[in-house]
Amino acid sequence: MTKIEVLGTGCTKCKRLFANTEQAVKELNITVELVKIEKLDLIAERGVMMTPALIINNEIVAEGRVADVKEIKALLTE
Amino acid sequence: MTEKPTCSCGQNEKKRFIIPCAGQANTGQITNSAAIQLTEEGFGKTICVALLATGNEGLVEKLKTAEEVVVLDGCKMKCAAKIAEGHGITPTQNLVMTDLGFVKGPSRSYTDDDVEKVAAACWMGRGRESEPEEEKGNCSGSCGCGGSCD
Repeated sequence: MTKIEVLGTGCTKCKRLFANTEQAVKELNITVELVKIEKLDLIAERGVMMTPALIINNEIVAEGRVADVKEIKALLTE
Repeated sequence: MTEKPTCSCGQNEKKRFIIPCAGQANTGQITNSAAIQLTEEGFGKTICVALLATGNEGLVEKLKTAEEVVVLDGCKMKCAAKIAEGHGITPTQNLVMTDLGFVKGPSRSYTDDDVEKVAAACWMGRGRESEPEEEKGNCSGSCGCGGSCD
């Protein structure tokens, strides 16, 4: 199962990225493991220097910006 | 969502400009409020459509070199998009409020939820991927019907 992690400390942009990710998953109608990571030590542990960030199957695919739904859908169907 | 960013994240965010049509109807006023909210959220900077209409050279140049230009139009007249395109600026996203389900007039009232719906659509990139909506009628929407009458 695809594992998606949305990393961010809880500000507006982090919430937007999480919402976009949820929407992308919904539109693709796929089952994934979607988790939100807000603790700074856990974010740093994953090598992310800028938030918000999106990790799919342990790979950082977007960092320091809010990926839109279309982009996330493309990343999930690669 | 009206809260402001509380951190300095989003350093890789694209350089965006938002052009609301700011029309007199409720749908136009929603674009204005959404642009302000989006600016507060760090999505981009709001541009004055009236100044753009004058052909201000500095502003036109700035928009031509922007990574993204997001145009928010109230109705199918797409005044803001036409003003932008008239100055050689191609919108990256063009969201039309009536396409999002808002009815143009007669009331001028709108809610925070309405504004949030537009802001979320911009963050999601809805204006980028939207397909032309099925025509409901022959009206351009300028009568205030939202494009639904004949």
